[in-house]
Order: sequence, then C-alpha cells, then structure tokens
Amino acid sequence: MKRRELFTTAAGLFAAKTALGGIDCGCAFSPPQNALGGDAFHSVGSKIKITNVKVFGVSLTPTSDRPYVFVKIETDAGVIGWGEGTLEGKAAAVMACVNDFREFLIGSDPMQVEHHWQSMYVHSFYRAGPVIGSAISAIDQAMWDIRGKVLGLPVYQLLGGPVDPKGVRGYYHARASSPAELRELRQTAIQQGVSCFKTGIPEYYEFIETHAKIKRAIKHMEMLRENLGPDLDIAVDFHAKTSPSVASVIVKEVEPLRLLFIEEPCPPENVKAMARIAKRSTTPIATGERLIAAYGCRELIEMGVVDILQTDINHVGGITALWKVAAMAEASGIVMAPHACEGPIGAIASVHVDAAMPNFLIQEICSGVEPGPNEKVWAEWMGFPIMRMVDGRFPLPTKPGLGFDLTEDALKKYPFGGTRPMARVFHHDGSVAEW
Amino acid sequence: MPAMQIASNSASPLAVVSLRVFPVREPVSHRSYTVVKLTTRSGISGYGECGAASAADVAKATAVVQGKPATAVEVIRTQLAPVANMQAAVNMALLDIVGKHTKAPIYRVLGGPTRNKARVLTALSGNSDEALVEALKVSAARGHRAFMVQLQEGQAAHPNRIAKTFDKLRAAGGENVDFALDGAAALSPGVAGTICDALERFHLLWFDEPCPSLNIAALQKLALERVTPLGFGRSIHSGVGFQNLLRDGALDVLRPDIARNGITQIRRMAAMAETYYTAVAPYHDGGPIASAAALQLAASLPNFFIQQIPAPQAEEDIRMRASITGASIEAVKDGYASLPTGPGLGITVNEEALAQYAERAA
Repeated sequence: MKRRELFTTAAGLFAAKTALGGIDCGCAFSPPQNALGGDAFHSVGSKIKITNVKVFGVSLTPTSDRPYVFVKIETDAGVIGWGEGTLEGKAAAVMACVNDFREFLIGSDPMQVEHHWQSMYVHSFYRAGPVIGSAISAIDQAMWDIRGKVLGLPVYQLLGGPVDPKGVRGYYHARASSPAELRELRQTAIQQGVSCFKTGIPEYYEFIETHAKIKRAIKHMEMLRENLGPDLDIAVDFHAKTSPSVASVIVKEVEPLRLLFIEEPCPPENVKAMARIAKRSTTPIATGERLIAAYGCRELIEMGVVDILQTDINHVGGITALWKVAAMAEASGIVMAPHACEGPIGAIASVHVDAAMPNFLIQEICSGVEPGPNEKVWAEWMGFPIMRMVDGRFPLPTKPGLGFDLTEDALKKYPFGGTRPMARVFHHDGSVAEW
Repeated sequence: MPAMQIASNSASPLAVVSLRVFPVREPVSHRSYTVVKLTTRSGISGYGECGAASAADVAKATAVVQGKPATAVEVIRTQLAPVANMQAAVNMALLDIVGKHTKAPIYRVLGGPTRNKARVLTALSGNSDEALVEALKVSAARGHRAFMVQLQEGQAAHPNRIAKTFDKLRAAGGENVDFALDGAAALSPGVAGTICDALERFHLLWFDEPCPSLNIAALQKLALERVTPLGFGRSIHSGVGFQNLLRDGALDVLRPDIARNGITQIRRMAAMAETYYTAVAPYHDGGPIASAAALQLAASLPNFFIQQIPAPQAEEDIRMRASITGASIEAVKDGYASLPTGPGLGITVNEEALAQYAERAA
C-alpha cells in the first residue's frame, strides 16, 4: 500500500513539473523548455521544412555484421536527402538513435545543418559516442544532400572545392597473401593507374609478444614491399591489435620499407600511449576511424602524435564534423585519409569533403582492384560504378547534393537482417584479443 | 518489520579466528618462505605465502584479521598495507577461504576465468654461457619456453658479449623460445640503453629491472630512445609506483611480486595498467602456494602476460614444492601451466610437509 502511494506521488510530481514546462532531470537542476527552436528562425530561415525522417537497415547478406544504416529526409519542397550512419555491429542502436532525433527534426529547416548538428550534439548532454555520432552522421549527410540539391551545387563546391578537378586519390585493399599474388596485383595496379594499397598485419597480439610472432609480422611487411615494388605506396593497418610496447618494436624494424603510413598502432583510448610509438618511430602514423567529432581528435593533434587523421564520415558526425577535423588538422600540418568501410553513401560523401581539403592525402575504400559483390550492388542502386577509381582517383560527381539518385524500392531487395555482432577473436589461451 | 540484519563481523561464520605461520626452506636451494594459515569460526582454513615475516609482522597481521570476516578482503588489505609481506599472504589466505566457502576457484569468484592456461617464465641460473645453455636445455625439457636470463659477472660493460650469450641461447632453444634479461636494478640507464641496442634483434620479451625505477627522469633515456620493452616492479608494493611509471611512459610490463602484494592488490594495479595497454607479469621467487595464488590471479586478469615461477633444478626441491601443495601445480607444458580447478587456491596444503621442511632457527 505504501509503495503504491509512493508511486502515485512520484507520478504526480512529474506531471506537475511537465505541466509547468520544466524537464524532470531527476536532479535539482531543471532547465526551462523554451519555445524557441524552429520558430526562432522564422524570419531568417529558408522556409523549407523537414516533413519526414526515415531510417533503413539494409543487409546485403542476411548475416552481415554491418547492415547499412541509411537515413532519408523528406521535405515540403519535394527535395529529399540521403545519409549513412552504418555502425558495424550496432545497426539497431543507431537506427533507434536516429528515431530519437526524429521529433526534433520534423518541422525544422534542413538548410541549417550547422545549427542542427550543434543541437543534436550539445543537447544530447552526454556528448556523442559511436552510436550518437553515427546517428548524427547520417542525419548530417542527408541534410547536406538536401542543401546541395536546393542550392543546385555538388557538396564539394559548397565546401569550397574542388582542390583538384581530376578527383581524389584513393587506395584499395591489397587482397593478396602470397608473393605471386602480390606481383600480379602490382601489374593490375600499374594498368589501372592505382598508386597505393593497404593491408593489415597478420595474427593477434598480446601486450607483450614473442620473438617468433614479431618476426612474422616484420617478414610479412617485407614481403609486401618486395613484391609490390618500390614505387607503389603501401600502408599497413595494425588495427589496434598491438600494444605500444609491441608496435614500437615492429615499427622501428620496418622503417627501411618507407611505408606511406602505419595505422592504429595501438587502441584509441590513450593518446599518450600512442605518443610513445610516435616518438620512437619515423614512419608516419595514421589513426582516427573510431573517433567522434573534432573534440575526439583534439588531443592527438595537440600532442603531435599523428601525421594522418582517418576519421570516418559515418561516425565522426558527418560532413560537418569531418570538415572540422580536417580544418583543425591542417593547422598542425596533419593530412587526411578518411576511413570508409561501410556503404556507398558515406563513402561518396567522404569524397565530397576530401575534394575540398587542402590537406587531403588519400581516400580509403574497403574494396579490391576488382569490384566485389558489394560494389556491384552499389552500382545497381546508384546507376553508376560508385567508389571505383579511374586512373587512381575517385571521380567527382557532377550532380547537385551528394550526386546520386537512390530509391527506397532499390533497397527492398536487401531487407534488414538484424544486428550482428562484429567478430569476436581470442588468443590461443582463450583470452580476448583485439582484431 | 524486523530491523535489517547488519553483518556482525565477529559473529559471522567466516570470521577469522586464528592466524598461524609456518616458515619453510627448500633443502638444496635454501630458498625460504613463510606459509600463513587462517582459520574461520566455521572451520575453513585458507593458506597464503610470503617471504620472511618477523614476529612483529605476524602480531600486526593477527590483530588486523582477528574477528573480521574472510570476505573483508579490501578492509584488511588497506589496514595491512604497511606490512607488505603479511598483507600479501593474508590476502591469498582470505581468498582461499572465500573460494572454499563458495566452492569455486578464486578466479571464478573474481569474474574469470579470462583464459584457460597461464604462460610461465622461469629464471635460468648459471654464470657462464655453457651453464646457461645447459640450464635452458634442462628447463626446456621440462616444458619451459620463456626464460629470465641474468647478466653474468662483468658482462654489463660488454654488450657484444651479452649478444653472444643470447646467440648461443637462441641456437640451443630455437626460434620459439623467448627471453627476458634481468638487469637486477644494477645498471645505469646509459649502459642499459647500449645493451638494448646490442640485443634488439633478439626481440627480448622485456628488459627486467634494467636500473633503479625510482628516478623516472633518468629512466627516460631508456624509455624514449629505445624500443625494448621495460619491466619494473619487484620493489614496488603499491599502485602509486606503477602509476608514476605508466604516466611517464617508462613501463611496458608490471612486475609486482605476488608474495609482496597478493592477489587483490595486483588486480588493482592491473586495472590501471589496462588503460595503458600494458601487461602484468608478476614476479615470484618463493614457494608453490604463492604459485597457486599467481595462477588464480592470471586467470582473473584480462591483461596478464606471463607468470614467473621458480623452477629448482634439484629433485629434492622439486619434491618438496609438490608435497606442500598435495601435487605439483607448477608443471609446465609447452610454456604454459594448467589452471587449478578445485575451490579456493585449488590446492590441498599438506601440513606434514610444512613440518618436514620447517626452517629451523639458525
């Protein structure tokens, strides 16, 4: 009986507070819910309003660990925009988070992307981790697509580009494991004009490693250089599999290979730990695919830890945030090589931002010299070979916005197969390994 | 409504009612250690181990544990902090009791197992290349794959001679054995750095205690200029020492002594080390009860790398260690020890063996 009374009282208090326009934050600090928001811009806004926000989970295979998360924003002007917030292993969480923003977006002016970005990030209070960051990314890209279409310009032109009208330089993944395959890959690259490849280091690493395993990692990298030749650029992704202790040993020994960069030589949480590697190596260090917003990159830039930043347009906070990271990086002489290992919308959005970066190095696409099954689906959706390089570069789209047409119908063949966890890997004693 | 039952310490069945110590000594190596036994009101006994303990240390520990429930591990750890050795032994014994009470190995009580076996390191003794090679062959035949090598007398000033030693050890052991070099905290950072350069190609697991760890600024020469991983901790008995080294980027392997820290304290150090992607490899030069505690610890940590376990050469010493714990839990197969599966420490301490090998006052 007493419990019931308590509940009634609590509910009553809550009702009273909300009736007065307060937010029950469960603390002594209840900010007023003011009536501004959309109406505050009545006289200076664009008059276009968002009428609907749709989120799609798209699984190319029923068991994909990275169903694409696409967002479509519709407006009362008839213009629509697409964005992507694919977060590997956490699709449903991002889809739910996009829907959390839905109510606030409907009725808002899609042209005010900077303002809405601030609101989504700041008013999320706890700031953004990968889930909120990916949801913001998708919404941000869709708004940029709309903005470009409304203003009649490709996004890279809205951003002040292109720096180079021939497009943006890219790299494929070296899908070759033997010397013979690597030599064949070299021939294909020369024919296609591809100038750079990336691949990963083999195996999984404990925080301290054995002589035999360190030797194998070094031999693997030597094999890459020997067979891809001296004139192709080679990047090696450590994928945060190594500790600073192990990475430092390996990186020092592969310095003579003159790699374009090594990527994520240790996990991302501890910038000072990564600095230990950077201080003891002359090979350029790239990192950033797991970082959210420019705030997430500040310490890396400030401490001079990285040479190359790789923030991902699907997680960092979309076009708005990727551009800001690049702007801040430029001031420290750091170049950009954005990560792209999800779907085609984020990838092409990244190309737009790349094209406007004075400090651009190279754009990733998780694909090989031959298009795989995913890339064939992308071409089917978009009507052109999206994210395939010509003479080593991704050509720039010419249409307004992000530069493609996509229909909801086209996605129907690939319904959402549910969230699947990313790979779970273990050392031979059963303990958890980084992959 | 009855008042909520407040855990009454001394009335608890798990309240510790007695503390006994058994100093023991290995017959050949003369390695000595102290076994600590706690007993609860309910009659459960738990064992721990540390190095030499004075009567004053024992009295202090007795006063602290008396009447406290065996589960009050953190309270007792804090109160016994000034007596590192007894703190460590009492901690093992308390967790042994908690494990026996809950019928679970300690690693299960602590949220593990995080792995299904534990990599083992053992020290090679010998003051010549030949002796070291011979010791390596004996240990390798017993299943060991990772070895702590001590600098030979007069070698420190001649890094190339050290490299020759390692060439011979590598030739004898092959590509799949690993080495750590013991600097015994006796080198200057400058000399240690030259040794790192000479040994880089051997990919040492780490350089252990190359120089004293108190002067971190002096250590930076080594930590910032060389890539050889550095291990420190034999003389560190609190998280503070490790935090200072980690913060200044001067540490790759935490080497707290299991017999001077115990399980709980090393878990706390390891928790901190995780955020630096740094491994824990507890030092141990005592007896088999602390080895059991170390294996329990290893299976409770995500960032455990290797456990040092003394491997006496003499058969008599080996027999003594096995008899204390009922059976040998220190056997090594292809570089790894199996995890004990019984409750608590997973061993049955044989008090007759403790009496048989008791260290007599000289």
